[in-house]
Amino acid sequence: MIAQGKYQEALEIITRTLPFPGVIGRICPHPCEEACRREEVDEAISICTLKRFAADKADIDELPLPDITPRDEKVAIIGAGPAGLTAAYFLAKDGFPVTIFEALPVAGGMLRVGIPDYRLPPDVLEKEIKWVTRLGVEIKFNAALGQDITIDGLMDDGYKSVYLAIGCHADMKLNIPNEDAKGVIPGVKFLRDSALYDIKKLEGSVVIIGGGDVAIDAARSALRLGADKVSILYRRTQAEMPARNEEIEDALEEGVDIQFLMAPVEVVEKEGRTVGLKCITMELGDPDASGRRRPVPVKGSEFVVDTDIIIPAIGQRTDTSFLESATGVELDRWHNIQVDPLTFETTRKGVFAGGDAQTGPSIAIKAVAAGREAAISISRHLNAEDLKEGREPLEVPQENFNPFSKDIEKVKRSRMPRISMEERKKSFTEVELGLSENQAVIEAEKCLNCMVCCECFECVNACKAEALTLKTHSQKDETVEVNVGSIILASGAKPYDPSKYDTFNYAKHPNVVTSMEFERILSASGPYGGHLVRPSDNKEPKKIAWLQCIGSRDVHLGANGYCSGVCCTYAIKEAMLAKEHSHGDLDAAIFYIDIRTYGKDFERYYIRAKDDLGVRFIKSRITNIVPVEETGMQLIRYVDETGKSVEEEFDMVVLSVGLMVSMEIAEKAGKWGIDLDHYNFARTSSFEPVKTSRPGIFVCGAFQAPKDIPSSVIDSSAAAGVAGSMLAGSRWSLTKTRHIPEEMDVRGEPPRIGVFVCRCGTNIAGIVNIDEVVEYSKNQPGVVHVEDNMFSCSQDTQDKITEVIKEHRLNRVVVAACTPKTHEPLFQETLSNAGVNKYLFEMANIRNQCSWVHQDDPGKATEKSKDIVKMAIAKARLFEPLSESTMEMNQSVLVIGGGVAGMAAAQNMAEQGYKTFLIEKKDSLGGQARHLHETWRGEDIQKYLTTLIDAVRTDQNIEVFLNSQITQVDGFVGNFKTTIKNDKESRVLEHGVTIIASGASELKPDLYLYGKDSRVVTGLELQQRFVDNDQELPRHNTAVFIQCVGSRIKERPYCSKVCCTQSIKSAVKLKEINPNMDVFILYRDLRPYGLREDLYREARSKGIVFIRYDSNKNLTVDVDRNYLKVTFADRVLRRIMEIRPDLLILASAIVTETDNTLTRFYKVPRNADGFFAEAHVKLRPVDFSTDGVFVCGLAHAPKPIDESIVQGKAAASRAVTLLAGKTYQTSGTVAETNPLICSSCGVCVSVCPYSAPSFIPEDDRFFPGRAEINPVLCKGCGLCVASCRSGAIHLKGFDNDQIFAQIFALNEA
Amino acid sequence: MSHWEPKILSFLCNWCSYGAADLAGVSRMEYPPNIRVIRIPCTGRMSPKFILAALRQGADGVWVSG
Repeated sequence: MIAQGKYQEALEIITRTLPFPGVIGRICPHPCEEACRREEVDEAISICTLKRFAADKADIDELPLPDITPRDEKVAIIGAGPAGLTAAYFLAKDGFPVTIFEALPVAGGMLRVGIPDYRLPPDVLEKEIKWVTRLGVEIKFNAALGQDITIDGLMDDGYKSVYLAIGCHADMKLNIPNEDAKGVIPGVKFLRDSALYDIKKLEGSVVIIGGGDVAIDAARSALRLGADKVSILYRRTQAEMPARNEEIEDALEEGVDIQFLMAPVEVVEKEGRTVGLKCITMELGDPDASGRRRPVPVKGSEFVVDTDIIIPAIGQRTDTSFLESATGVELDRWHNIQVDPLTFETTRKGVFAGGDAQTGPSIAIKAVAAGREAAISISRHLNAEDLKEGREPLEVPQENFNPFSKDIEKVKRSRMPRISMEERKKSFTEVELGLSENQAVIEAEKCLNCMVCCECFECVNACKAEALTLKTHSQKDETVEVNVGSIILASGAKPYDPSKYDTFNYAKHPNVVTSMEFERILSASGPYGGHLVRPSDNKEPKKIAWLQCIGSRDVHLGANGYCSGVCCTYAIKEAMLAKEHSHGDLDAAIFYIDIRTYGKDFERYYIRAKDDLGVRFIKSRITNIVPVEETGMQLIRYVDETGKSVEEEFDMVVLSVGLMVSMEIAEKAGKWGIDLDHYNFARTSSFEPVKTSRPGIFVCGAFQAPKDIPSSVIDSSAAAGVAGSMLAGSRWSLTKTRHIPEEMDVRGEPPRIGVFVCRCGTNIAGIVNIDEVVEYSKNQPGVVHVEDNMFSCSQDTQDKITEVIKEHRLNRVVVAACTPKTHEPLFQETLSNAGVNKYLFEMANIRNQCSWVHQDDPGKATEKSKDIVKMAIAKARLFEPLSESTMEMNQSVLVIGGGVAGMAAAQNMAEQGYKTFLIEKKDSLGGQARHLHETWRGEDIQKYLTTLIDAVRTDQNIEVFLNSQITQVDGFVGNFKTTIKNDKESRVLEHGVTIIASGASELKPDLYLYGKDSRVVTGLELQQRFVDNDQELPRHNTAVFIQCVGSRIKERPYCSKVCCTQSIKSAVKLKEINPNMDVFILYRDLRPYGLREDLYREARSKGIVFIRYDSNKNLTVDVDRNYLKVTFADRVLRRIMEIRPDLLILASAIVTETDNTLTRFYKVPRNADGFFAEAHVKLRPVDFSTDGVFVCGLAHAPKPIDESIVQGKAAASRAVTLLAGKTYQTSGTVAETNPLICSSCGVCVSVCPYSAPSFIPEDDRFFPGRAEINPVLCKGCGLCVASCRSGAIHLKGFDNDQIFAQIFALNEA
Repeated sequence: MSHWEPKILSFLCNWCSYGAADLAGVSRMEYPPNIRVIRIPCTGRMSPKFILAALRQGADGVWVSG
């Protein structure tokens, strides 16, 4: 807090445990500093002095008074010293009325009368005592125990507990002759008298006997009182002196003479006055019980020191004269009050003791600690609680400290300035002046944050939603045992840390950031509020460079050999976003090895960045990055594609860091008992990609391999599906059912509208004047209750709204907050919980469409908010309760397509217990996989396929239809009727859900002599030759692969994803078949993504030649004297090259059918490339927007076999979420006809895209020929309503009168 | 007339334009505050009567987007 300049907060935190920060911060010998780990770096932090700084800098009087609940039980405290005052402070905070009885006329105890003013000015002490009395503590002075009061007397007066904190104010005697002579003043008495009473001046010389703090204090006080000479006699040496070294040094500095190895023998007196002290020289003998060497007198060494005043300061004891009156309180063997060491309770119940009276003379902070403990005991005593519970001393105080770097700069401990020596000698002015602000901040910044959290609880104060409270803050880990049937690991990956092997000066230069940090920079909730600025000077950068493959595709120390798979696309996204955020013309450059935009639609994104937005893509190897002096710029040195060295400066450098499994997770995997691969990813097979090596444990997401969000989400559905198939038998066995109260019938009631205005923290309240909106809403007709909430969507507010609805019998609710698109379902649930129909709800969007977009004009934003709320209220007034219909869900599924994805889906559906129809248009199952030889890992695909086909064909739950085509589809989710036709039959299949796995195929190119020369084959055809174990293959001497044939071109601007890996795998296979074969792969960007990078590395090591060809220049294939001749432009050598292969493989694109009837049958869309378009790329990657229809496999996008299998299972899993419910609810916001005024024109029937309206059959009894609408099919679009010529159709929830009400509410806008 | 500001009423389709208006907020884009939005389930719901009603109520412009 001090380091952050928050002094008042610092003081508040200190006073939670220490009522006297200014006092203790001055006089404490700070034993705490011995525990400080900064000692391991340089010196301990000046904790003590920092406390004083906080107390001096901030005003303790300005601290808020705590909330106190008053109690009746009175507590008496004897002694207003540190122990007594501290106990009073904490007891008063607990609400107990406290009276302190003090023998002296002043408060503070030894702090006041034992510690001289030059160390602790009385005004500092008084201010902090006032802080205690401010809490209602009363101090009665001149009331000594034993004389004026007794324990019994106090108990009789109604005090329920007594705390004895009487201190140690009696001096020990020297026990030498003439000790009572005039001029001998015991040390404690001397200090007390000089502080309070008559000792105002000393004359002559003073001898002090003793070596403790009192002796030093007495000596320095004597000097200030004018003594000519002040000597201290101590019987041992300086090393044994109990006084603090700083104090001894200060005394010596001020001119106090300290004589060692001397002991008093006798006071020399003359006429009753002291004139000298007879002393004897000592020598050190054997160590005594305290470990210090025992002083032994040297015989015959007596001598006399002339002196006028002798101050013996050899020790103090507790004045136990009160004991006679204190029945039941006993002393220990040191003549201090005996207490329980944990509770500080004396031998008399309800009477407690602490401080010097219990410990013997000690330091003030111990008395404070004792006072606090006593307060806890007394409080528990008065609450009749166990005094001891939970108070056992900690054996190991702390461990697991926050580690700190070895490179911390050493900083010297700050020293406080002091007043001049001249002033020191003549007055009691405070010597030490405290740290300057600068010193204090430097000192506080040295803290190493040993425990990470310092428990300042500022976060508790800051959390306005009260999610963080003192209670939640102190939450600890707890062990919970859960019985489960299977486990899904979704522990993910973490970004690579570039600071460890810091090649790019990431750790040293603020303008070199990781891609994750850059995401935060661009984020509206990030450190710069979404403004594109560079960290060093908060200025907008003009040039940003992205460096790809940081920590990926790199086998050097600390990096990872695999491709992280996500960085190319995210870097492109960041570059495009940065350009959008930039106010100028941002120059964005991406330095890459290969651009791997292999995901669905990613290639288009890349093309857009390059061609439309001008992002520069530089194929290069980075040499190094050097900061350009003082400009904050970074100079990037790199070698370009042609081998030329180039330099360029950038304002910012973004490191596109890869993904990796954290060590923590890798270690845990050992406990989970699952195998990891050599990169610590969970080991899986291509055919069971979510299954770990341990049965019952499944994996999804980036812990399986580096992958992006869509793939991770697909994985997660698949893992759930596979786990579900294991647990199908126990479905619904451990589920909890939510209780929904019965709906109130509000029909016929006048509207009672409740308006809840959300502040959304500062998101809305920071711009819009919420109070005005609340007041305005109160005056709207029908409104009976208005309130504002900090966060309306928080769980506690939801509960509160439920209560308010019940309490005020609200029958319409308006929430003025964010957007209904995200939050409407949540509030509708709240209404249901309160027994109100969920359609009696309207949201007023005053955040997304008001406060967030009108930040510059709070006045207008407030006016607009009022209008928005008014419109919502006007609409809500007209709401009617709507009903949803419950439909039976047909418990079977139709899977279209008998490839690997379709079979995987069918198999999973069947395993989960659902009747599955699998239709395939060809005469056999297997799809494209029938032509594939091995996966990239070398797994036998044909073997897997045979097993899978067998399993599908023999499964009781699966019915397979080969050679079948769909001819007609009727129905909708829950009740589809699909007519199929094959050579044998035409049949109507009834099913609840549909999974489309209709696949795609390899392009048969009309290029490069394909189809004209038998030496030219496609990638899949070569695979087929491997499957067939073609004996021709070993005879070839030169093979050339051409990549991107038909992909990544203008007509097909997408990447076919599988071809790079497949070509590399085939190339390796050819090398295996004939090691002497020359194998070339001509590529544009090589995209063996993720772990497939290993295969690429292996291929290079086996001598396969990878050549990057220029796709902009002609690549030709001719026959020259019967030789095949491939001619192309090499991008590295910048030359036209020629190879004469005897086998030419075209890595041909994956293409879809141009006319796919499924689009029409199931009303599902396809993207521009002909692949089916999912509902949401990330959130619903296997769902269609059309309910009950799912997609997987190549029909969705090009993908390898493992991803098709995963997606098949994912689609099945998603389908089961519908089927398992057995019924489903249709929306209430649907259209309804009024057949009385329907003119049977048929417009609604013809315009509806969902075939919801139809004519009532002519033979029906009521309204034959008029239109009716099937609420299950209706999507509530309202097209029929707008087109109805008779006004016979109403759209519930968006009816004409409701929309008109909104328009009319605009009147005052 | 130099300070004249038009009142615009917009009818936005729940599935596209309304979502886009939300996104404008999420992206903290700024635009003038003299526009009011009525959410409709689809622009197919749009009726000419709504436009006439809006103009009669004093709107200077009506924007239908979907």
